[in-house]
Amino acid sequence: MRLLNRLTANILRSLLPVALVLVGTVAAHATAFDMDTVEKVPDNADSTVVAGINSAVAALDDSTPAVENVTPEEHAETAAEEEKSAINPKKIIFEHLLDGYGWEVPFDHHHRIPLPVIAYASDGLHCFSSAHLNHGAVYQDGDVTFTVGGDESKYPGKLVELVNGEEIRPWDFSITKNVCAVFICVLVVGGLMLWLASFKRRNGFKAPRKGLGAIEAVVAFVYDGVIKPILGPQAKRFAPYLMTVFFFILVMNLLGLIVIFPGGANLTGNIAVTLVLSICTFLATNVFAGKHYWKEIFWPDVPLWLKVPLPIMPVIEIFGMFTKPAALTIRLFANMMGGHMIVITLTLLIFIFSAISPVAGGGATVVSLLFSIFMLLIDTLVSFIQAYVFTMLSTIFIGLAQEGEEHKELEEDHGHVGKAIEDTLI
Amino acid sequence: MELFTPDFGLVFWMFVAFGILFLVLWKFAWPVILKSVDERAELIDKGVEYAQQAKEQLDNARNEAQQYIAEARRQQADILREADKMKLQIIDEARSAAQTEAQKVMDNAKLQIEQQQKEAQQQFRNQVSDFALQVAGKIIGNELQNDKAQEKLVDSILDNMEDNK
Repeated sequence: MRLLNRLTANILRSLLPVALVLVGTVAAHATAFDMDTVEKVPDNADSTVVAGINSAVAALDDSTPAVENVTPEEHAETAAEEEKSAINPKKIIFEHLLDGYGWEVPFDHHHRIPLPVIAYASDGLHCFSSAHLNHGAVYQDGDVTFTVGGDESKYPGKLVELVNGEEIRPWDFSITKNVCAVFICVLVVGGLMLWLASFKRRNGFKAPRKGLGAIEAVVAFVYDGVIKPILGPQAKRFAPYLMTVFFFILVMNLLGLIVIFPGGANLTGNIAVTLVLSICTFLATNVFAGKHYWKEIFWPDVPLWLKVPLPIMPVIEIFGMFTKPAALTIRLFANMMGGHMIVITLTLLIFIFSAISPVAGGGATVVSLLFSIFMLLIDTLVSFIQAYVFTMLSTIFIGLAQEGEEHKELEEDHGHVGKAIEDTLI
Repeated sequence: MELFTPDFGLVFWMFVAFGILFLVLWKFAWPVILKSVDERAELIDKGVEYAQQAKEQLDNARNEAQQYIAEARRQQADILREADKMKLQIIDEARSAAQTEAQKVMDNAKLQIEQQQKEAQQQFRNQVSDFALQVAGKIIGNELQNDKAQEKLVDSILDNMEDNK
């Protein structure tokens, strides 16, 4: 109980800045848009995810007068094609959810924190600052011309090499916003854990206080609460990986909630990140699996006709090997991306309603703000829960693959728990 | 759709970064932290066990002490009772010894008195027989021979007189 109290207290404390930052972002958007009454263009969303938002917005569309919109950023991109531009919710949402070559700065849509672009193009390695590519600019580096794919491009938002007017995707090793955020998370997690380790080395049994105490409480919570009960004697062997995964995801989730640098990258809401993590779990599960595990897959304990003429069960089991990490990938990705998307959408609602009338805008501001704060509170909780669930499921998968008599018990004890949590959370 | 397409560069860097993080923490952080967490848990378990044992021992010691005290009290009472008994006994013995001694002295005295009485009687008898012979001799005029036969006669007369008394 005390542990939970400590956790809640820490989470609540961490929420205050989040809420403040949220207010800041809304203000930032407001300053960007306030001079203009905004009209929304119905957009041809092929995305099912934003389709709902768009249809909601489309309903408002008839009553909206067409007025010019002069967001500086969008102006640069769309000025040529259209005098009257508008908020494009899909574009804004995706801009926040997806990766980018620079890092946004609050209150400024022109400048971005430049990050290195590293690309292996047709003639070799190129490395230059992403500042050259801002707002769709074309950059000549050596003999190769680079740009970032526009909306109509085959590779929207990605670095492309222009060869005779055609866009070719080079091997892109750029330190993008997400890569940079991954590095920051690595530094944060590594720093925190090495700090805790050095404290332990110096002070032995003494319990740390304050910040380190909170970290240690979480360490003990995960280690004693998840890893040890599930893995038993094998806990020591897999704990380093599982603990690293837990803290890495937790820090990525929490940093993602902070809107400005060094946060704001939608890391765990990026499928590449969750994919890598679940590939690691997949490897840990299968590389260290016991004989029992492989027997269960290729010669499971089922009636003979299910496996001899047609290997029905083995095929299902092999399929199951891959669905487990796939579920891990999608769960974390979808949960975190959903949270981000809801908050962005709520913020966008302010501008969409402001386009109808100032009164509606004012009302929407209050409601959206309250909902956003509520959602961010939930997201903070979800950040922890998702890190916990990912770790727990990884532990269960690894535990199930371990040979021995505890296999059956494990399945009975934790399989249900895992399934139940899986069902509720997905 | 780009949202669901893992980006090659990010996957690459993620592998690298996560790999490095894992290796560093695996080598330098987790062994120390997890060991300490384990050891502390063990220490706490042992501490609780130790405290329980100590409490048990304390309870036992208290019980023992109380037992000892009760025993001592009992012994004390015993000793006191014994002493009391002894005292009475000594007094009794002394009294009986004194009584016997007194009895002895009294018996002795009685014996002596009787002896003396007897002696006095004998003496008195001798004198009476003497007197009687002298008186009888004067009366008869003849001094009777103060021989044994006369004395015997007187004696027998006196015996008779005593018996008749």
